Amino acid sequence: MIVNMILLYVDPGSGSYLVQVIIAAILGALFYFKNLWWQIKAFFTRKKEEPPVEDKPDE
Amino acid sequence: MNKIVRHPASFKDPAGFIFESGGKIYRQVNQRYADEFKLLIDSGLYAKLTSQKQLLSHSAVADNFTGDNEWFTTILPEQLEHISYPYEWSFDQLRDAALLTLSILKTAITHGMILKDATAFNIQFHKGRPVFIDTLSFGKYDPEKPWVAYRQFCEQFLFPLYLEHYLKTDMIPLLSAHHTGISASLTARLLPWRSKWNLGVRLHVLLQRNVSERKQEPNPRITFSKTKLMNVILHLESIIKGLKNRYSEQTTWSNYYDETILGPQYLAAKEKLVTEFLTGMEFSTVLDLGANDGHFTRLVASMGKDVVAADSDSKCINGLYAYAKETKSTNILPLVIDLSNPSPAIGFGNNERAAFGSRMKSDVVLALALIHHLVIGKNIPFDLVANYFASFGKILIVEFVPREDEKVKQLLSSREDVFDDYDERGFEKSFLRHYSIRKKQVIPGTFRVLYSLERI
Repeated sequence: MIVNMILLYVDPGSGSYLVQVIIAAILGALFYFKNLWWQIKAFFTRKKEEPPVEDKPDE
Repeated sequence: MNKIVRHPASFKDPAGFIFESGGKIYRQVNQRYADEFKLLIDSGLYAKLTSQKQLLSHSAVADNFTGDNEWFTTILPEQLEHISYPYEWSFDQLRDAALLTLSILKTAITHGMILKDATAFNIQFHKGRPVFIDTLSFGKYDPEKPWVAYRQFCEQFLFPLYLEHYLKTDMIPLLSAHHTGISASLTARLLPWRSKWNLGVRLHVLLQRNVSERKQEPNPRITFSKTKLMNVILHLESIIKGLKNRYSEQTTWSNYYDETILGPQYLAAKEKLVTEFLTGMEFSTVLDLGANDGHFTRLVASMGKDVVAADSDSKCINGLYAYAKETKSTNILPLVIDLSNPSPAIGFGNNERAAFGSRMKSDVVLALALIHHLVIGKNIPFDLVANYFASFGKILIVEFVPREDEKVKQLLSSREDVFDDYDERGFEKSFLRHYSIRKKQVIPGTFRVLYSLERI
C-alpha cells in the first residue's frame, strides 16, 4: 500500500491529516475515471441526438 | 446575583462553557472566540442553520454572570427538555446525528467556516429531531488544511455505525465504555473479513489504523484544498446514507409483544383503563419504562404530553423513532435503556455525563407489562423496584402481572421458582412503602391488575 512509501507525520490528535490527503487523492482518481466512463457511455447513448447549440444572447 | 453552576462536562473548550443559573442553561463565550463568534453571525451561517432547525438558536444576554475577565458575551440557548447520550440511541438516531453533522459541516464550509470538533455529544434530540447544540464549535475555514475533526467523526459516528452494520448486533452501547469514540484499530479488529472488501472500510478504517499506528519523523508537507475536503465529506455522507438498520432483515422476536399472548381485547381494555387513570390529572411529562413497541408511548403522546420511551430492545426503539419521524411528532424521545443496567455516570470524576436516572425525572411514570421482567426475569426484589420507580416521578401507573398470567408461567417454566413473595400482597407491601393507591383495577379478561400510585 502506498502509505508504506510516504514518510509523513501523524499526530494522534491531529485528526488524521495524512489519511485525508490519501483518501482525497484516491477518491479524486476514482471520480476522474468514473467521470470518464460516464462520458464515454453518454457519448454512445446520445450519438443519435443533435449536439446542443448555444444561443448567443443579443445585446 | 444568581448562583452559577458550571456544567461538569464543559471544560475542554477554551472558547467558552455551559453553566446553569436560575434553572436555565447558558453558554458563556470567551474573548478568544469573539472573532469566530462574530463571523458565525456575520457570514449568515447562524441564520442559515437555525432557519433549517439544524443548530440550536439562542438569544444574546448582556450580563457577565461569572465576572470572568475572559468574558465576551453570554448566550441563552433554546432550552432542551431532555438530555440523552449517543450510547442510548438506536442505529437510525445515531445515523441521523451523523448526517446532520456532515450537513452542517458542508453548509459551514460554504460560509467560510468549519467544525472544530465532531463529537456525537454535540447533538441532542429536540422536539423529535437531532439538533446541533455546540454554537462554539465553528472555526474559521482554512482550505489548505484537512478537517481537524475527521478522526473524531469517524470514531464517534462512522465506526459504531459500521460495527452495527457488519456485526448485525447492538454495538452502540460500546460508546459508553469508549466515551471518546471507538478507535480505528479496535474497529478493524472487530469487523468481519467480508468488510475488508468494502472501499469505505479500507479507506476510513484500515488506512486510518495503518497510518496512525506508524511512528514517523515529522514532515509537514501536506497540501489540501476545498475540493479534496469535499471529496472526503461526500464520501463519508454517501457511506452513511448507504448503511441501513438491520431490523427489516431480521425476523427474530424482539420481546414482542407480551400482550400478544393475551389477545387484542386485552390491549384495548388496558388502553381504556390507562386513559381513564390519566384523565383529570395535571401532568406534562411522562417516562414510559419498558415501552416495547411504544403502543402506550403513542397513547400519551397523543394527549399532548412530552414522553420519553425507554426499552432495552433496540429494534423497538428504532421502530418507535421511525414512527416519530414519519409522523413528525415533536414530543416523543425513544431511548435504548436496559433498566437492570441503565446508563451510568461517566467521564472524569464520573461527572461529565450524568446517569440515566438523574436526567429523566418526570411527572408520570408508566411501568406496563414490565414488573415481571424485572422481578422474575432479572431477580430484582419488589422493594428495590419500587424504590427505583419512585426516584423518577410522583405518579406511577404500574401493571402487576401475577403468577396466573401466561407470560409469568412462561418465565417461571425455565427457571427455579424462588419468588415466594411474588403475589399481589407482596407487591403491595413493597410499593406501599413509597406510594399510596389512587386507583386499582383488574384488566378485564386477564389476571393482571393496573394501579395508579402516588408517591408519598
